[in-house]
Amino acid sequence: MLSPGQGKEEKQLRLHGSGETMHTVAADLYLPRQARIDGIVRENSQIKTFVLSFVDEEFNSAFRYQCGQFLMVSVPHCGEAPISFSSSPTRPGSIELSVRRAGRLTSALHEMQVGDRLGLRGPYGRPFPLAGLVGRDLLFVAGGIGLAPLRSVVNACLDAREHYGGITVLYGSRAPSDIAFAADLADWAKSPRFACRLSVDSAAPGWRGAVGPVTGLLTETGVDPEKSVALVCGPPLMIRAVLGMLSEKGLPDDRILTTMERQMKCGVGLCRHCHMEGKLVCVDGPVFSLAELKRLRPMELAG
Amino acid sequence: MHDRYLLQKDHLKSLLRKLMKEYRLVAPARNRHGDVLFVVLEDLDAAELDLAAQPQNSLKEFFFPQREALYAYEISDEGYRFRPLAPECPPTIYFGVHPCDLSAILYMDVVFSQGGRDNFYLRRRRESVLIGVNCGAPPSDKCFCNATGHGPFLDFGADLMLTDLGGRFFVEADRAQGQALVRSWRQFFEAAGEEDRNARYQSFLEARGSFQRQVHVEQAIRQLADGAVAEEVWAALSLRCHDCGGCAYLCPTCTCFTITDQQTSAQGGVRLRSWDACTFAGFTRMAGGHNPVAQRTGALRQRFLHKLRDDVARYGRPGCVGCGRCVGSCFGGADIVRFVEKAYEGGC
Repeated sequence: MLSPGQGKEEKQLRLHGSGETMHTVAADLYLPRQARIDGIVRENSQIKTFVLSFVDEEFNSAFRYQCGQFLMVSVPHCGEAPISFSSSPTRPGSIELSVRRAGRLTSALHEMQVGDRLGLRGPYGRPFPLAGLVGRDLLFVAGGIGLAPLRSVVNACLDAREHYGGITVLYGSRAPSDIAFAADLADWAKSPRFACRLSVDSAAPGWRGAVGPVTGLLTETGVDPEKSVALVCGPPLMIRAVLGMLSEKGLPDDRILTTMERQMKCGVGLCRHCHMEGKLVCVDGPVFSLAELKRLRPMELAG
Repeated sequence: MHDRYLLQKDHLKSLLRKLMKEYRLVAPARNRHGDVLFVVLEDLDAAELDLAAQPQNSLKEFFFPQREALYAYEISDEGYRFRPLAPECPPTIYFGVHPCDLSAILYMDVVFSQGGRDNFYLRRRRESVLIGVNCGAPPSDKCFCNATGHGPFLDFGADLMLTDLGGRFFVEADRAQGQALVRSWRQFFEAAGEEDRNARYQSFLEARGSFQRQVHVEQAIRQLADGAVAEEVWAALSLRCHDCGGCAYLCPTCTCFTITDQQTSAQGGVRLRSWDACTFAGFTRMAGGHNPVAQRTGALRQRFLHKLRDDVARYGRPGCVGCGRCVGSCFGGADIVRFVEKAYEGGC
């Protein structure tokens, strides 16, 4: 005799072998956790870095993530958007998200103050393969807000400096006043075996650095194809140009890493807004090697 | 295992009446306008069940509603809190489900339980009993389940599977839940004999031979896997797409969704999940306006690649179940069958 109750029990056994309760699973997949804005750093006129911690202290101190991953960030009445970690996982206890003012949610976020609350869920996504960087020379090439996810990697590597070879950062901005992460750039300059070169699209009085796209810096930079790994992040046109140049310098495609940006709604591989040639950027990325991208041929690489 | 029974048609309503005491009943019924739809049946005597026609809606909306509140949120002195809203999911029997729509549920089972387990879907699914009915003849001239490998008969997936043999149904109970149903209401079921099995097989052969349409789905799948579909095909079809999303809404396997906040007061609101469509211009457009999909020439590309290339690569069979609903509804004539034909002809 089958009663609805019996049927339910039977099915629960089948679907809940791991012992998790139905309620927890139902609640958790898209449920944001409350976080507090502990600090705001104005990086330039368009970018702010938000220093955050989860309100639940126990959860906050146990929370871990990896370089290249992202969070789904809820802003009151604005829904959610994916934002990469710009802080380093080697420094747990607080999270930093660097956000460029681009649309409705990010504009509302830019209006928020220290003490205000956000919702966070994650971490999501395939991270940078840090184990693969050990023993290598590291070349970071970033444009604008693209330095945010790479800043996470640079700081993680500096926190274990002895594991890596030389580190070079090439960073392009629109104008000297747009150069973000100035405090980091100043810190990095003090590190051993570290080179940092900046370029701006249009110079201003007093600017002594390079002028032009970041590819100009790359042309002048020697890359040892045997020893190096390159990590690239920026606008699609920059990514395309830089990946091409790195390939020409003889760096193997599986040691050229970049991150892809797409609209995302779920972050867990279901909503499919982040589709990219058969892959989903939220779960299969956002980090991809050039070797993978050449097989997929997304629009970022299309001629 | 492999329990085979007969259910006299005269007994069907009595059985359903018994079942309705314990379960909500969803079945295809013809309404007063002549349309057949899957509906929650309250009054079996007043309902005109129709097991032959194709219901205009699939069962998607019963497991994955078009619009659903996932959380209520509140902003107060205590912060910014989200409260989960439990989905309504009474134990439900879905009766009279054709192989295409059954296959679509099996497909959604995989989608919503891989990686992230979506319990908004899975809880409703757990409370479901599926009673299918094989198609003795294609319900419409748009059907092409024979070409996608999902019909006209289905040997797995349903708790009970019925085949119309004239005055009686041949009943297959291959799953524990179906076998338990038969045990509970044993008085309605007779043991089936060799003759009945043969009659079922005969019905299968007739059904298989009665499709009017030859849709070359397998050929299109091979071409997509080889990357041998011309850009002109995507562009020609995309130009005909009116961005209405009708195909995705009617499709029993289109499960793309969006999540939005709806503010209901100064201090709160609800977080909604709604059906979305990959053909919509806003589906991939990012903050700041950049869109990685060239809308004019590529609006439909993802739709067909997902169903006929990516799902085949991931699950071994196409995401299209061949129900044909989109074929009749696309007023631009840019449905999946048109795509398969264009790819097959190699032109546009």
